[in-house]
Amino acid sequence: MKFMSLFKKELREMLTPQTLVVLVMIYFGMFMLGNIMGKQIDKIVEESSEIVLCDQDDTEFTKKMIEAMKKPATGGTNDVKLVSIESDDYPGELERLGEKNIVLIPKGFTEQVESGKTAEYTYISRMTSLSTLGNVSSGSENAKALINASVISTLYGKKLSEGKLTLEEISQLNKPVDLKEVTVVQDKSSDVGASTVAQMKTMENMFMPIIVFLLIMYSSQMVLNAVSTEKIDKTLETLLSAPVSRLSVLTSKMLAAGVVAALYAVVMMFGMQNVVSKMQTGGDTAAYKDAIEQLGLTLSGAQYILIGLQMFVSILIALSISLVLGVLAKDAKSGQSLLLPIQLLSMVPYMLSMFMDVKTLSPVIRYIIYAIPFTHTFMANENIMFGNTTLYWGGLAYQLALLAICMTFAIRVFTSDKIFTMTLGGGKKKSGGGFAALFGKKSAPDHSDE
Amino acid sequence: MENENVLEVRGLSKQYKKGVYASQGVTFNVRKGEIFALIGQNGAGKTTTIRMISTLLKATEGDAIVDGHSILTEPEKVRQCITYLPDEAGAYKTMTGTGYLEFMAGIYASDARQIKEFVERASEISELGDRLKDKIGTYSRGMIRKLLLARAMMPQPALAILDEPTSGLDIINALDIRRMIKKLSSQGMSFLISSHNMLEIEYVSDRIGIIAKGHLLEIGSAQELKEKYNTKNLEEVFEKVVLSK
Repeated sequence: MKFMSLFKKELREMLTPQTLVVLVMIYFGMFMLGNIMGKQIDKIVEESSEIVLCDQDDTEFTKKMIEAMKKPATGGTNDVKLVSIESDDYPGELERLGEKNIVLIPKGFTEQVESGKTAEYTYISRMTSLSTLGNVSSGSENAKALINASVISTLYGKKLSEGKLTLEEISQLNKPVDLKEVTVVQDKSSDVGASTVAQMKTMENMFMPIIVFLLIMYSSQMVLNAVSTEKIDKTLETLLSAPVSRLSVLTSKMLAAGVVAALYAVVMMFGMQNVVSKMQTGGDTAAYKDAIEQLGLTLSGAQYILIGLQMFVSILIALSISLVLGVLAKDAKSGQSLLLPIQLLSMVPYMLSMFMDVKTLSPVIRYIIYAIPFTHTFMANENIMFGNTTLYWGGLAYQLALLAICMTFAIRVFTSDKIFTMTLGGGKKKSGGGFAALFGKKSAPDHSDE
Repeated sequence: MENENVLEVRGLSKQYKKGVYASQGVTFNVRKGEIFALIGQNGAGKTTTIRMISTLLKATEGDAIVDGHSILTEPEKVRQCITYLPDEAGAYKTMTGTGYLEFMAGIYASDARQIKEFVERASEISELGDRLKDKIGTYSRGMIRKLLLARAMMPQPALAILDEPTSGLDIINALDIRRMIKKLSSQGMSFLISSHNMLEIEYVSDRIGIIAKGHLLEIGSAQELKEKYNTKNLEEVFEKVVLSK
């Protein structure tokens, strides 16, 4: 009985209306994230039945193989689109044909198969993103499986009618074809698989989104705590009645949080770079690094500055929002829950940009995601590497515009009565501000202490 | 010079919602070296009036002149003439007492010599001795209040505004603080105090303003008010004034 009373009391204190609002927000945030990811996976599955193929060999065998691809023995149908590649300039050919991936069956393929050798075909793929799902080459995997099946079935048919199988032929049946992957990035290409490149780059750049995420979290929390603690302890009243401008108080808080956040960033960057360098030793690392350089997937000093600039703007946005949220906090507990919207706003683009190519999402969802200011920072690395300059500069312009709005609002709150009258949710005693105050309406103050 | 006004409040009002005034047409003055007390119930408008004079809130109507400067047009200059001690105010817990005084002195002082002078004065006023070297987080409520009062006195402002200076303190600490205010007033410092502790007000203040529902209803010394309303103590005066309106 005593325990239940205690438990109920604790639960009542922890499960406030604010907590419930946050829980609903988290649910809808995750629901949206799940839906977006589900749709992307459906798209990948759908694309796997669409094979764009160039048959340079053009023999009876390859024709039969293509027919077998259209109606595989395993059931279902595939949409095979035949195209013609006229040169070895794969980036140019993909551009000309308007395709993202092409399976290329080279001249001499049938001859290789019939002479009992492992035949080679090529899968050319354009890489537009570093995200995990954005580089799943299901088309090539599907094509490879179908080509394997076709070759094996042809070989069996032929050899079984002859009534004998040599050891070499058995070995050929185990590995009838060899896949050569070519990745295209903008106007460059390299003989390496897109998923391998993405894997290497993800490992190399994995610290970037983590740092952005943690910086947004740390700096927001620091400023929110700095403001809410001063307001709750009434040290803010003392400070603002002293001969110092309110803008100086605001700027010093933001600058201090920015400096500490930058310190975190430097420490984390060095730490994570060490982790990544240790992970990237041995094996074919050198060869992959060459391929990455060949594809132009490296960043110059100026490009790092551009990424840093977007990171800085994101942090300033988070800080200005946190300043206002800090003013809304009634106590330490409400201060913590107020931080959750920022956490959600950074978590959604963080997860999405890690798993999928945001650019390929449906327009409505894409613009909702673009409306989250932190999205552009999570995508900065990719946008710069893949030459999406419009997206980068557009994102930066949007962030700057939003920063101007947030800063104007924060300054307005800090330099007006709102800093003392605004609270979230109000409460019976503190009948002040709330969201009415937030949107400029005059409201009753906190004069519970009079 | 005795009657020189350090603060002149003229029709000061604060309206939050249309027709809802936290403070309306408040008019009074505080003379040099005087302790003026605003008394009223919770929500009467004391803190709102004090916050307007401290330039924390903007007045909807009226004005207040502090040492010749308007709170409406020269708030920065007003802030140089006043110090404000909010009700139940805290201090930065991670700082030491001395560190806090140095930090605040840095805001008021014009050079390093003045910072040193302010800190020395505040250390003396606070009577905290060696405890000033300790973190504020280890202080009792009374010690924090003494530290904050010392902070409010150290720049020797033209006007010290104290909201409930002894609220939540034990008798000994409260007495110490009242004596401190009296002593500094005798040295020429002016005080505007808000309180609902009638005994304290009667003991410490020279003149009293009774405020209710945002209106300043009466002004006078404790003696004058007791005589006017024919009562034995200030509590009865307060009751009569508030109920009569």
